[in-house]
Amino acid sequence: MPPTLTSPLSASAAATPHATTTHLSIDGVTKRFGSFTALDNIALEIQEGEFVCFLGPSGCGKTTLLRMIAGLTRQSAGTLIQRGKDISTLPPQARDFGIVFQSYALFPNLTVFDNVAYGLRNRRVARADIHARVAELLALVDLSGSEAKYPAALSGGQQQRVALARALAMEPGLLLLDEPLSALDARVRGHLRSQIKALQARLGVTTIMVTHDQEEALTMADRIVVMNHGVIEQVGTPAEIYHQPASAFVASFIGTMNFLDVTAAANHQVQLGNTVCDCLPHTFAKGRPAQLAIRPEAVALTRQPGALVGEVTGIEFLGAFQRVSLRIAGTEQRVLADVPSRDSAMLSLKLGQVVGLHLPGDAARLYPAGSCQS
Amino acid sequence: MRALAWIPPMSRLSPEALIRLLVLLAGVALLVVGLLFPLFAMLVKSVQDRSGDFIGIANFVQYFQTPALVNSIANSIRVALTTTVIVVGLAFLCAYGITRTCMPGKRLFRMLAILPILAPSLLPAISLVYLFGNQGFLRDVLMGETIYGPIGIVLGMSFWIFPHALMLLITALTHSDARLYEVADALGTPKWRTFLTITLPGVRYGLISCLFVVFTLAITDFGVPKIIGGQFSVLATDVYRQVVGQQNFQMGAVVSVILLLPAVISFMVDRWIQRRQVAQLSARAVPWQPTPSPLRDGLFALLCYGVAGVILLVIGTAMYASLVQFWPYNLTLTLQHYTFQGLGGGGWGAWFNSLKLAFSVALIGTLVIFFNAWLIEKSEGYRPLRQGLHLMAMLPMAVPGMVLGLAYIFFFNQAGNPFNWLYGTMAILVLNTLVHFYTVCHLTSVTALKQLDPEFEAVGASLKVPFWTTFRRVTLPVSLPAVLDISVYLFVNAMTTVSAVVFLYNSDTRLASVAVLHLDEAGYFASAAAMAVLIFLTSLVVKLLHAALTHVLLNNAQRWRQAG
Repeated sequence: MPPTLTSPLSASAAATPHATTTHLSIDGVTKRFGSFTALDNIALEIQEGEFVCFLGPSGCGKTTLLRMIAGLTRQSAGTLIQRGKDISTLPPQARDFGIVFQSYALFPNLTVFDNVAYGLRNRRVARADIHARVAELLALVDLSGSEAKYPAALSGGQQQRVALARALAMEPGLLLLDEPLSALDARVRGHLRSQIKALQARLGVTTIMVTHDQEEALTMADRIVVMNHGVIEQVGTPAEIYHQPASAFVASFIGTMNFLDVTAAANHQVQLGNTVCDCLPHTFAKGRPAQLAIRPEAVALTRQPGALVGEVTGIEFLGAFQRVSLRIAGTEQRVLADVPSRDSAMLSLKLGQVVGLHLPGDAARLYPAGSCQS
Repeated sequence: MRALAWIPPMSRLSPEALIRLLVLLAGVALLVVGLLFPLFAMLVKSVQDRSGDFIGIANFVQYFQTPALVNSIANSIRVALTTTVIVVGLAFLCAYGITRTCMPGKRLFRMLAILPILAPSLLPAISLVYLFGNQGFLRDVLMGETIYGPIGIVLGMSFWIFPHALMLLITALTHSDARLYEVADALGTPKWRTFLTITLPGVRYGLISCLFVVFTLAITDFGVPKIIGGQFSVLATDVYRQVVGQQNFQMGAVVSVILLLPAVISFMVDRWIQRRQVAQLSARAVPWQPTPSPLRDGLFALLCYGVAGVILLVIGTAMYASLVQFWPYNLTLTLQHYTFQGLGGGGWGAWFNSLKLAFSVALIGTLVIFFNAWLIEKSEGYRPLRQGLHLMAMLPMAVPGMVLGLAYIFFFNQAGNPFNWLYGTMAILVLNTLVHFYTVCHLTSVTALKQLDPEFEAVGASLKVPFWTTFRRVTLPVSLPAVLDISVYLFVNAMTTVSAVVFLYNSDTRLASVAVLHLDEAGYFASAAAMAVLIFLTSLVVKLLHAALTHVLLNNAQRWRQAG
């Protein structure tokens, strides 16, 4: 049975391809709109067969960068090289990519078949070949039999799958996805997410997806490019981005993060209020103010008060765990701790209760002071 | 050529981008030659003497020292203001009846109310003469006042402008948010307060816009005052008299400049309002549905059908007058007035010319205007060119027909103008009419194009399909209703317009609307009425065909417009 978009995922589907040839290399790309710099000196290499996500808040330049790769927006400076060919000044027609937009952009007056065959027809492919190719593509996105339907008769998720089939019809070397799931409701989104990823892994097509949804990026990408204010903050695998954020912005943008005002002490220690805590090695001069970042799930609570003590000021029940807000004694700083449900029973937390706080040093990173308000 | 520095060198352009650029330049050239140059020639003419020497504002000084001319300003304003009050008042009540009550027969009324647009503005004037003129059977209603003058002008204009105002106000009143009315009801607000605090503020931009549109139409109209104005002169007839009657082109230019002012002002006010109106209504608004109220519905029905009755009376009078032997002495029916034999004015030949003009303008104009709008809306790059084209496309709205026609004489009839060969041909009439009615078509196109997904072109390009294929296979079919609207608008206006073309025809290209004017001038009133009725019927037939075609097309398109 040929694999389809909604057939179960095989174990190999999520495996990272180990290709090492460069598919696309972006160098010194800058885009200015008048006095506003949308992209500032971007450099990035994308490997053959890789699934890369551009992630960032709205206005960070991620969509501009995607449109620039497609040739829909012209860069102010810099070069783009795709498979060894300089495409910097080529119009979209002369580049090798397929694209899927958030709005689907299906042609409403054409049937599903005509939509998918749109580019093939123009290439003067034989009629029988077109039929075979469209049938194959629709089977791939699990929409066999919908050839004669019009887009308006399909659900949002189905429409986006047609758009995906259309983008893949010309066998592009590069697949561009511009927030493809944002217009869908949560359930369809979650489903289509894993299916797109599976399809991409099967076809091995190099893919760039723009998204502002970190969960989407973390679950789908081989590598994530985190962007902010027109610059790349960090490039890395989802685990690297989550566990070793390169900047306070990345740390705060991905997941939930506590930021505590501290003063740098020895090279792997900081002073929080009157307490000295361990942290990952840093290069801050002793006595410099800094921010200590630690994830709520890394914060440990104990019944016995230790060096650090916190008063419980709020408890949120979130099913698998409880999110506890605490005020650190001796400072007015607040910290969140995620306590798994089975531990919370043991702690039997109540508002106003005073508990011991432990911030494990290997989970605490230090960033310059004032770089993030938590 | 520093100004062209932003255009990349031709060698680097792909063939497709080159074609796009050339078409864009052609669009700009069309409006530069067809609008900007003529207007400039007219402005120049207004500061020259007869031998073409620069004399500063001497012409204007002379104008303001001639009481016979200056009086026209006050006359024009008075007539236009009165018309505005009558038309907007009536149109508001009728639009309210259609949108906010449960009066019966709304569709029929809307159809009847649109009829005046299909006739040249000369038709109501002719009918009014038959009704209230020296031989008119309703003459006594005026109690000794004469119809030849301000009364006739106001009545004639009101008839002809009413549909424009009605359509604008229906649009404004249709957009309502039921939730506001529900809240008002829940808070126990009296009906009159709801009207003052919700209904009126909701339509204020539409209402102001409508006031200015009506005022502009009234102050620039030529047909009605020409036929029924008698000794009462207004700006538009002054232009005609100075140019055609006295061959005083300089003074014609001066009056044109003065006539341009109110139109330009109202144009600017309208643009300003349009900008503020954006996002008045959120996408989540719930449309308001009227509930039956017998007394209110009855009163509005009475009013609307009264108005419709007047419209039918005016059109019916022109028809009847064109069909009787000799009003009012011999009322036997005859078709002899439709032979136009032995009369000046061109007769059926003029009608054929009008038909040719109307079809040419509808076909060429629709394609050119829609494609230009597409270039402006849907292409990347050449921003200054696209913005320039958009600005020029908005300008014709502010240029009255008389002014545009006269400007064409000044520009195209110049010795040494490379476009001189156009003068006196059908081509110049097509160009003039196309430019004259450009703005509304442009706005309709832009509105339709804005509703399309902005990424169609990008998808087409990513699939290696040239832009003209995507335009032909997707953009045009999806926008077909708007495109058909534009073509029928152009057809009807080309058929009925008289103001601009009255300066530009020659003996071979005489038009039906001009023929009406000449037959009336020559005293062949019944034949003038016959020609006006002929124009009306032609427009009506085309409009009905358009409605049928739209119906069929939309039915076919239902397959994809609504989930099937």
